[in-house]
Amino acid sequence: MRCEHFRNIINEYIEGSLGDAMRDQAQAHLNRCEACQRELRFMQSIWRGLSTAPAVKPPADLHARIMTHVRANTRVRQAQQRVAFWRWAGAVAMAAGLFGMGFLAARSDGVQAAFGFGSSRPPAAEMPAPVPAGVFVVYRATEEGLRLPVLEARMNRAAAAELHYVPEAGLGKPMLVWKGTLQPSKTVEIPLRTLLQYSKERVLTLRWSVDGLDRVLYIPAGYPPAKIASVRLQAKLSDALRQLASVYQTPIEWVPNCAEPLVVLDVRDATLEDALRQLLIGTTYTLKRHGEAWRVMPQQ
Amino acid sequence: MHTYDYSSDEALIERFKEGDELAFDLLVRRYEQKVYQLAYRLTNNPDDAADVAAEAFLRMYNSLKRFRGDAQLSTWLYRVVSNVFFDFRKRESRHQHLPLELPSDDGDEPMELPIEDESVDIVGHALHEEQKRVLMEAIQKLPDYQRVMVTLFHLEERPYEEIAQILGLPLGTIKSRLNRARNALRRLLEPYRELFEVETSPTVGQAQEASDAL
Repeated sequence: MRCEHFRNIINEYIEGSLGDAMRDQAQAHLNRCEACQRELRFMQSIWRGLSTAPAVKPPADLHARIMTHVRANTRVRQAQQRVAFWRWAGAVAMAAGLFGMGFLAARSDGVQAAFGFGSSRPPAAEMPAPVPAGVFVVYRATEEGLRLPVLEARMNRAAAAELHYVPEAGLGKPMLVWKGTLQPSKTVEIPLRTLLQYSKERVLTLRWSVDGLDRVLYIPAGYPPAKIASVRLQAKLSDALRQLASVYQTPIEWVPNCAEPLVVLDVRDATLEDALRQLLIGTTYTLKRHGEAWRVMPQQ
Repeated sequence: MHTYDYSSDEALIERFKEGDELAFDLLVRRYEQKVYQLAYRLTNNPDDAADVAAEAFLRMYNSLKRFRGDAQLSTWLYRVVSNVFFDFRKRESRHQHLPLELPSDDGDEPMELPIEDESVDIVGHALHEEQKRVLMEAIQKLPDYQRVMVTLFHLEERPYEEIAQILGLPLGTIKSRLNRARNALRRLLEPYRELFEVETSPTVGQAQEASDAL
């Protein structure tokens, strides 16, 4: 055997995968060739060095980073599928001579209850005046032990109000959920149970309008809330808020002021408050606690 | 009333196919360390590694419903990580124009080694650390495909048959390409020969016989 041949089979030699005859030939060559002995030592040392590579320690937030990435991107996919579904549903409704809410109401009793026009709930018990005005998200325990969000709306004057569900992560055609008139010192309760059962979205996008002024409510479908999470995102403000509502399983209310900036966020092991404060730096929005929700509103 | 079995990969995949998101979370927990380790060894950067790992699990989420169980889930995941890494490098090279060819020999000068009369242990340890550093750097200089092969075989210690499955190539091709990769690595390490020749202690495989015969 010549040096060149030995160099060609040196890896198999080290590995021990040569046949007997070939191995004996290689051995014989090695016994008389110092250069190939050197080469063998070099190559063996490389093999050894590779197999003793240190174990890699993953970062503490690896799981959170993975799940955030997966959730953020599968939501987009689900939203796209939903767009496809609503196009299909729209076509079916048109073909059947139905349209809009009529079609939806026809689907099931539960849906009808939730989407019927003007089906205002009787106002709850009298509240002592004065009361804070606005719409509040509260969680109520059910008989089955679930905690479900309920909207409580109250005003210090009479005002016409409407609640719309905007499907497809806020991109779809708004559907009327509730419509009525708010009276001073009376609280209107709007349960969201049927809507949550109906929608498969992780975060419901609702639009609450009083006297033509809109605010957006992001209500997560799951419970309980996450206290601390790691989030990295770059998105329009509304998308970022929806994402945070999903990650932290906490409702977020947004009072838009025309400007919807592009925001960037990269926080590790942060609370929702920290994440939101970080998010709003450099924007014209400010943050306030609002019942069980966080409210993002224009700076005064 | 269901009793949920979360013990095996197969059970978890079944649960996930039925819409159980917790099963996916558990699968991620089961494999995230392995996936991250491979990603880190390929990218040599903790941030890039986390991005590659996250993207690999996203692809798992999207295609797990079609997973037929022909291969082990770990093998399949290694394949996904490799593909994400290739894509990642393609994107990176578009942005940065990294040289993907082997560098020429006029690269780094070999380091002067302080082999004086110091304590043997300290020198031995320093040599070992230096050897590792030089090796890891050399792996990063290999073309992507060779880097993946060397990492899978030598660092992750996957058998040839599994690497063939991971990369979707015949066994013979894997063996010959791996040899090419090892030889490329050897060429990259030529300037550091001294660093690798000083150590003569334990040997690999048949080499024991060789050193006995010397």
